[in-house]
Amino acid sequence: IYLVAESKSAEPWPENATLYQQLKGEQILLSDNAASLAVQAFLQMCNLPIKVVCRANAEYMSPSGKVPFIHVGNQVVSELGPIVQFVKAKGHSLSDGLGEVQKAEMKAYMELVNNMLLTAELYLQWCDEATVGEITHSRYGSPYPWPLNHILAYQKQWEVKRKMKAIGWGKKTLDQVLEDVDQCCQALSQRLGTQPYFFNKQPTELDALVFGHLYTILTTQLTNDELSEKVKNYSNLLAFCRRIEQHYFEDRGKGRLS
Amino acid sequence: TGWAQAREPWQEKFLALPPLHSEAMSTPWIFSPQKYNADYDLSARQGADTLAFMSLLEEKLLPVLVHTFWIDTKNYVEVTRKWYAEAMPFPLNFFLPGRMQRQYMERLELLSGEHMPEDEEELEKELYREARECLTLLSQCLGSQKSSLEIPASLDAFVFSYLALLLQAKLPSGKLQAHLLYFPWDGAEVPPPRQTPVGPETEEEPYRRRNQILSVLAGLAAMVGYALLSGIVSIQRATPARAPGTRALGMAEEDEEE
Repeated sequence: IYLVAESKSAEPWPENATLYQQLKGEQILLSDNAASLAVQAFLQMCNLPIKVVCRANAEYMSPSGKVPFIHVGNQVVSELGPIVQFVKAKGHSLSDGLGEVQKAEMKAYMELVNNMLLTAELYLQWCDEATVGEITHSRYGSPYPWPLNHILAYQKQWEVKRKMKAIGWGKKTLDQVLEDVDQCCQALSQRLGTQPYFFNKQPTELDALVFGHLYTILTTQLTNDELSEKVKNYSNLLAFCRRIEQHYFEDRGKGRLS
Repeated sequence: TGWAQAREPWQEKFLALPPLHSEAMSTPWIFSPQKYNADYDLSARQGADTLAFMSLLEEKLLPVLVHTFWIDTKNYVEVTRKWYAEAMPFPLNFFLPGRMQRQYMERLELLSGEHMPEDEEELEKELYREARECLTLLSQCLGSQKSSLEIPASLDAFVFSYLALLLQAKLPSGKLQAHLLYFPWDGAEVPPPRQTPVGPETEEEPYRRRNQILSVLAGLAAMVGYALLSGIVSIQRATPARAPGTRALGMAEEDEEE
């Protein structure tokens, strides 16, 4: 969590704000794409203009080591949580209208998505041998020459595996992970119900986060379709993704998301 | 769960402690088709909320619990290490608590990730701030329920497992305990255990004293018996008035000669 100096927050949102992520076509992975899309959706919902710039070393440029990060004025902020706080300090917020209990619910559901969906994505990318061999390794190291591409990919894999072990996911099988994804989607579907957004008429950062992850899962080609099938079981979640895509991306002239 | 299968009987005792049971979250018993669980009558929406709040607790409260019991030096030395050492058989009680502490430290480092400040004090402040925020959120949510019957039983148990340990453990450095006591309604969840003392020291007090005396006596008897049998000390009836102090001197002289 980055503390934002009060004096800097008085400046208005500039026109040249940029969001940095890895190369879209050849490099970026499922989990990073989801995170980036979530931030983009959030900024769209706040009506704040942002330009997306792809750089191979985005991960290393980021102050926390995670993508995406935004460059606004002379400040750099990474990850959705700190970005939401930064934007709030500038006077824009999606969740101000919520009551205390609703804010608590929102935070809880955001943690659920991070705890289950994001971790499942990381597991699939780095701990499932089939995906690692066919997709992840080659994509992750693609901008770099041999042997750097292999070294970086192995290093990242080791890091992620260590983290999985620390949180107790090291011994899970793929089926168990998919089961967790299903549980998470069921919970989200229950919470959404028939409403357009999670807190009825207005979207919040929770909607942005859920959209980022679900849309990416639905539209990313993996070795098999099991992950996206889990999401497709819930029609209201599909409608939710479509609604946000249409309203915040297509209608604004940004064109279809790839 | 995997935890239960791999553990020895003496380790089973600790499955109830929050720092070890986080894997329980991954068991999909909430939406279990057999419906034989604590939340059978639960609405699906409440089940979803429960899952979300468990994620929140695990993300915000668990690191602080781990820190309070394993990283905080005073607590670790005076409480945690003693508890574990007492329950483990010889010779494991010498090195196993230390190993567990190292594992927890590593886990906390990985969980905090790149956010972790270099300074330990900063880390502590940040962890406690997040935990306080989490407790406040929880307090608002639970406080808004009309009766405790509306709280899903499983969430009740989950929250209780965190709060009870914090409230009941006699910690020398109980910063979080102090914050917890600001929420009077929290007491509604924990009255039952207040009647049964949790501190292991009180339960085993009478046996510990007896064991200590017995072991000292046994040691003394062994030493004296060996001394007599091997001839280092011989009882001379000619001088019954010889004081124990001089006899000891006599033993020492003979030892030196040997």
